[in-house]
Amino acid sequence: MIGYLRRGLTQHLRQSRTLVALTVLGVALGVASVVAIQTLNQGSLRAFDGSVRAVSGQADLTITGVLPFLSETLLPTVLADREVESAWPLIRANVAVTGRPDLNLEVVGFDVFAPVRYPLQDAAARQSDPNRLLTEALARPGWVAVTPELAAAEGWAVGDTIAVSSGSRAVTLEVGALVDFRRFEPLAPRRLAVMDIAQAQEMFGRPGRIQQIDVVLREGADPAAAALRLQEALGPGARVQTPEQRRQDASGLLAAFRLNLTALSLISVFVGVFLVLTTVQASLVRRRREFGVLRALGATRAQVLGLVLGESAALGVLGVAAGIPLGWFVARGNLQSVSATLTSIYVAEGIDRLTLPPSVIALGVAVGLLGAIGGALLPAWDLARRDPLRLLSPLALHETAGRHAGRLALGAGLLAALGSLWFFTLGRELRLGGFVYGFVMMLSLPPLVPLVVRTVCRRAHPSRFGLALSLRNLLARLQTTSFAVAALAITVSMMFGITILVGSFRQTLVTWLDVTIQADIYLSSESWQRTGNDAFLDRDLLDRLAAWPGVISLEEQRRLRVTTTDGRPVWLNGLRMTDRPLPGVPRADLATRLPLLAGEPRAAVAGLREGGVLIGEPLSRKAGLTVGDTLRLAGPEGPVALPVKGVTYDYTSEGGTAFVTMDVLTARFDAAPPNNAALFLSPGVDVDTTVEALRREFADRPLVIRSNRTLRGEVLAIFDQTFAVTRTLQGMALLIAALGVSVTLLIQAHERAGELALLRALGATRRQIFGLFLGEGAAMGALGLLLGLGGGVGLAALLILFINRTWFGWTIRPAWPGGDLALQAVVVMAAAALAALYPASRARLARPGQLTRDDL
Amino acid sequence: MTDDILQLEAVSMTWESADAAGRTVLDGVDLALARGEAVALVGRSGSGKSTLLHVAAGIAVPTGGRVRLAGHDLTGSDEEARTHLRRAHIGLVFQFFHLLSHLSVRENVAVPGWIAGDDRRRTRERADQLLDRVGLLDRGDDPVGRLSGGEMQRVALCRALLRGPALVLADEPTGSLDDRTGREVMDLLLSLTREEGGALLYVTHSRELAARADRMWRLVDGRLQAGDAA
Repeated sequence: MIGYLRRGLTQHLRQSRTLVALTVLGVALGVASVVAIQTLNQGSLRAFDGSVRAVSGQADLTITGVLPFLSETLLPTVLADREVESAWPLIRANVAVTGRPDLNLEVVGFDVFAPVRYPLQDAAARQSDPNRLLTEALARPGWVAVTPELAAAEGWAVGDTIAVSSGSRAVTLEVGALVDFRRFEPLAPRRLAVMDIAQAQEMFGRPGRIQQIDVVLREGADPAAAALRLQEALGPGARVQTPEQRRQDASGLLAAFRLNLTALSLISVFVGVFLVLTTVQASLVRRRREFGVLRALGATRAQVLGLVLGESAALGVLGVAAGIPLGWFVARGNLQSVSATLTSIYVAEGIDRLTLPPSVIALGVAVGLLGAIGGALLPAWDLARRDPLRLLSPLALHETAGRHAGRLALGAGLLAALGSLWFFTLGRELRLGGFVYGFVMMLSLPPLVPLVVRTVCRRAHPSRFGLALSLRNLLARLQTTSFAVAALAITVSMMFGITILVGSFRQTLVTWLDVTIQADIYLSSESWQRTGNDAFLDRDLLDRLAAWPGVISLEEQRRLRVTTTDGRPVWLNGLRMTDRPLPGVPRADLATRLPLLAGEPRAAVAGLREGGVLIGEPLSRKAGLTVGDTLRLAGPEGPVALPVKGVTYDYTSEGGTAFVTMDVLTARFDAAPPNNAALFLSPGVDVDTTVEALRREFADRPLVIRSNRTLRGEVLAIFDQTFAVTRTLQGMALLIAALGVSVTLLIQAHERAGELALLRALGATRRQIFGLFLGEGAAMGALGLLLGLGGGVGLAALLILFINRTWFGWTIRPAWPGGDLALQAVVVMAAAALAALYPASRARLARPGQLTRDDL
Repeated sequence: MTDDILQLEAVSMTWESADAAGRTVLDGVDLALARGEAVALVGRSGSGKSTLLHVAAGIAVPTGGRVRLAGHDLTGSDEEARTHLRRAHIGLVFQFFHLLSHLSVRENVAVPGWIAGDDRRRTRERADQLLDRVGLLDRGDDPVGRLSGGEMQRVALCRALLRGPALVLADEPTGSLDDRTGREVMDLLLSLTREEGGALLYVTHSRELAARADRMWRLVDGRLQAGDAA
């Protein structure tokens, strides 16, 4: 049977080259979607992992603070532990390269004489005078080692200087050495820059403060027990973790982002399965007599089934072979936007390098093969279960959809009803419940298609050679048509669902910005977006700003990464806000621009002043807190309990945000200057002129000075960038669905050769036949749109009302992005029509002389 | 200006084959068919009857000679022009009916009108008129799959006559029917064609049916011989 499989496959490939190529492309796109997303997902984790391992790769334990810093006085306590072999402090800073808004350096300051084999020692050891490098690192101001890759990309050489900034502090670094940290740690980030700890502390840190202590334990020591003991000794201000625990932290942070992309990529696989199904079915109908003969000659059902599945698996292999490299290129193409999203919203570490891990390759292979075999299963089983006589009869095998349309639709309704019942009674409480429900609803869409297609097409009463006739033609091949329409419908559901979600989210964000962004000018530093915690604005700068002509109020904000006592990360914002009305300036008073979900604005501001906290909606939902509850944060001296005075809509972070006054932040967490400032101008003072004047005045400072309008635009640009990869996935799914239309019409052009020859004999021109097929493609597009619109609205509701709230915790007010949806409808119709072009050009070649006695 | 609707002059048709000589199906055929005339074409299987009809319809292009349809030179026309000439002047009837199973009876009859872009209302009225004439008006909305063989061929006759063609070409129109039904269909074909004023060229194996034509031609090894006059 293997020999027959080989011969049959070769013949099939030769006879149906185009069909096979389109199917393989469809499988490849499905595989590519999954491979691309998983590569990016792994990349995002490995980016974090790379930083952790590059810095503390040899450490058994890592000690960080509950705040983003530690007192260096803790080091002797750590070294005093009986099982600690060695420990060394680290300074970490994310600094902006001046004049390069897209480039930052991940600076690590460490003790060059630490008793550990760090990359710098490694590099030094390979030099003729090992001590020279380390001495220079200590002695030369601003000495820093960077990666050769970054130096090559930026045109830096040893001895060059780099202007960088941390907050409003501008410093100059000198490229002291090019060190390939990846020789030491393959996952090390390209932008890693290593320097002496004392210099790093002076340039980017704060006196007495370090970011991390790495610990190596004595041989045989139990890390878990040592961690507990150290935690006890160091007190509540420190967190002792194994590197694995730190990686898990990052994994948890990115979970929602990764899961959403994974779910989207699976839609492409689902659509690809329909493509395989259509092709295999068409192939089997054509070859039914061949299988009838095989069965008559003694082949068992299992052998026939195996033969068909084997052929389909071969298509899967080809799809995998093309899909994995394609996925890699798609991942690379989206690297920048995903990396930017990660650093804008989630973590400091962006992805600057991708690898294709064996696990992702294995996943791609599994998806391609299972998709191909899964797609073939139904028609293969349908063929195998029939007796030889039936297979040898001229009766068509595949047109059962018309007869079963009603029952299939009933099944779809039942599946949807059961899914809904499960979700609204049990599933909505489960974290993955929304995804499962969405999948069930998507599954219930295809069985509904034959009935819808039949109902619509039956209403078409052709009275000319046009679209109505195209619709009736679809009815004649209902089953084949239904697969293509189902694939389109699922794709359109996904496209419309995401578009409605994104449109609604964007509209919600615009409304929120309208309320909250009220100051005229906003100031932060170039390193603020990445560093957050330590990008400070100097006090003298703030004083000068406050005294600037036309400024009537200066607001300050400090952002600090903290955790709740149960380990939930929270961005704690210290505010020094305008809490009184300003004459002639609407909505300057904080109480007038607090978009509260729970609480009353005046009472909330009063509560804030009295030491309370306002929490963002995601934190409220995820931690189950509301007005009257207490938010317990881990402070440097122990837990800090803050009464919740209001819950505010907040879209700055999905993790959790809380707001206290600057005084509370300073007194109970950390005394430091603010990270950014906002200026209210007197009525009549021109904003743009003031921005220009400030930029001129502070040209030597690494400041980012933006008007209200510019800031809003930048926020929305980040938002749009976040969904760039989603648009790629939508495009790939649409491409697969369009291939489905191509395959279906190609099959029809072949199967309807007699009908086309008759029409030509009756006087139809080639142009008319071409138009007829284009019309059929457009009709499939329209039917897919019709069904997809319903599916899309349902999916959007699920995403907005349930999945988003469970995973992100935001309130999104549903909106109808009519323009975007109309544009997508046009794209879908155009894709369907384009997909019909090739089959139509084949169909138009039908010759009237081809009409044989067996036709029709 | 001749009154002949169809003229074939020294028409030859040779199919290419593996041997260099090829297979000659039509060999110097000359014929002229007058408007309103009914001619039966007989001959053994493989004698070239269907090929001659294809050549007459502009479906196939002869390898030699000239074909004129309604005064137009078919052999000198390109494929598009031949299609338009066929659409304008010819109605086709096939042995196996060749109806479109996904269309109703009335829609099958109307197809040539749709193709030609004729007025919709007039096409429908004309289809109904013809269906009424063959006794199938009340079946107009039925799917063709529900019809008997004789009924299907009557629908095919209506389709062929929808646009009032000057020439009806029928390839063994009764070949798939029993004798009685075949006779009924032939009666209709002859009477309807005459009523419409069109010429008819039909292929048949039946001497009885051939005898009902105005004239009979016999094809023997690709050469046309005048048969018995009816």
